Amino acid sequence: MRHFKTLLFHELRVVIYSWNTWATAGLFLTLMGTIYWFALLECSRSPQPWTPVEGTFKLFWLPLLCILPLLTMRSFSEERRAGTLSSLLTTPASIAAIVWAKFLSAWITWVVFWLGFIPFTLLVNFRLGSVNEQRLSDPSVLIGALCFIFMSGLLHIAIGILCSCLTRSSALAALLTFITLLGLTAAGGALESLPIESWTWLGWLREPASHLRTFGHLQDFAAGVIDSRPLVLYITGNLLCLGLAILAVEGQE
Amino acid sequence: MTEPTSQPVAAVVAELLTKRYGSLTAIEDLSFTVAPGEIVGFLGPNGAGKSTTMKILAGTMAGTSGRATIWGESVSLNPAAAKSHLAYMPENNPLPDDLRVEEYLTLRAKLKNVESKNVQERVEKVMLDCDLTRRAKGRLIGHLSKGFRQRVGIADALLAQPKVIILDEPTIGLDPHQILGIRDLIRSLRGQMAVLISSHILHEVEQVCDKVVIINRGRLVAQGKTEELRRELLPDSVFHLISNTPLSQLLEICLQIESAAKVEIQESLSGGWSRYKIVIPTQSPIRENLAAHLIKTGISIREIAEEHYGLEDIFLAATRRTTNDGLRN
Repeated sequence: MRHFKTLLFHELRVVIYSWNTWATAGLFLTLMGTIYWFALLECSRSPQPWTPVEGTFKLFWLPLLCILPLLTMRSFSEERRAGTLSSLLTTPASIAAIVWAKFLSAWITWVVFWLGFIPFTLLVNFRLGSVNEQRLSDPSVLIGALCFIFMSGLLHIAIGILCSCLTRSSALAALLTFITLLGLTAAGGALESLPIESWTWLGWLREPASHLRTFGHLQDFAAGVIDSRPLVLYITGNLLCLGLAILAVEGQE
Repeated sequence: MTEPTSQPVAAVVAELLTKRYGSLTAIEDLSFTVAPGEIVGFLGPNGAGKSTTMKILAGTMAGTSGRATIWGESVSLNPAAAKSHLAYMPENNPLPDDLRVEEYLTLRAKLKNVESKNVQERVEKVMLDCDLTRRAKGRLIGHLSKGFRQRVGIADALLAQPKVIILDEPTIGLDPHQILGIRDLIRSLRGQMAVLISSHILHEVEQVCDKVVIINRGRLVAQGKTEELRRELLPDSVFHLISNTPLSQLLEICLQIESAAKVEIQESLSGGWSRYKIVIPTQSPIRENLAAHLIKTGISIREIAEEHYGLEDIFLAATRRTTNDGLRN
């Protein structure tokens, strides 16, 4: 991990100075604000079994599929297209340090984007302070849901980084990330909805399906239930994807 | 592997380097060395395998077989140590457009293990050496002209004071003034670091390099000092003579002076004068004073001059020889 710190600061600087980041941030906040707005409207029309924050986070897959690929798509593909990755590899910096620095800067950006959602809830609380605050915005739900986003982000961002390593085209990298994340998010739900119990020959799928239930993980985190299994899933998935990304960069050079 | 403390015999060693892409062989059994402090020109026609060889030496591409070392460190077995002695400027010099020159060089200095307290000083020094301080220091790289981008690439190569510098076409696309500047800069490195430089501008290479390595179709065709290659590849010296002596008589005289001489008429001029081409072996002792010998025989001579062979002739002779061999095979 030679020069990891230098590379991380450089990547963060590139992220901060890139118009792409600010445009993506604008898009993200607009999307989240709109979802939150509709969730508030729903709650104001009739009593709902969920709070506006819970309702907003149930649609977390929207920014995941639409925004996250925009954050990671350029990380390696753009550098490979421009040839600057080859130039970087002539320095004593290790490939692992390069991959981890790009991952961590993208993950930090993702975290900051989601933290940007908190002012929406504070603003609503401030303006509608007379309404039952607990129902309007339960801080524990918000903290739990954000913890889920940050933990699952370890795997999701790593997938984006891996996809960016595989191609010189940023657009193709974004598409690959979108498809993989869609598959991963939908797989758990799809497997859960199948009548696996009645299909004995599919019995072996029961266990993996229970681990891949992404929406279930969100509910658990939001309810304050800390289960170590999703943590292990997201951390090992992250290590696997970044390991593959390192091999992909090594293989291409 | 520990870093060698003493100076190795060779700064760069390429030993039987081979690179294959499926059935296509880019380079085959390529061997050459660059001594410490030596400036070596790496020449070859387009597609000869120059950039592939340089990428393998720089560790950005793996060879299929063979061995490459930089300052005694194996590029494949100990890449970090090899890279710590090396600076490589690839062809087309890819640079990040969204960084300012000073920022970019500062980042590269940190990545190249320049001590933190020396980073600023080194960056200032190379910017000064490459004439970047006045006009490019604070500008975005994406807004620089081709010439300044090349300077940034060379400044980057000089940053960590490496023992070996590999420059792939450093003067491509530059105007004559810029080429002169780059040439002087490279020349100033002689004795301080080993430089392997590829260029299509043979005149440049001849002016700057101590030695040349010529490859064609992925194979080594010649290497050595220009004078040595001249003797090896162009064994004959050619003289151009204007005289009114008939061909048969001139041939007879020349054969008396040097038995291996060849004479042919090139052009008939007015007043009975003709331009002749006299070819004698370069090794012949007569070569040095052919004119004196001819005058002594009493023939009329209006002009005599020896044709000078430049690196271009050597390059053409070397590559033509292998191309013809290839066609015959």
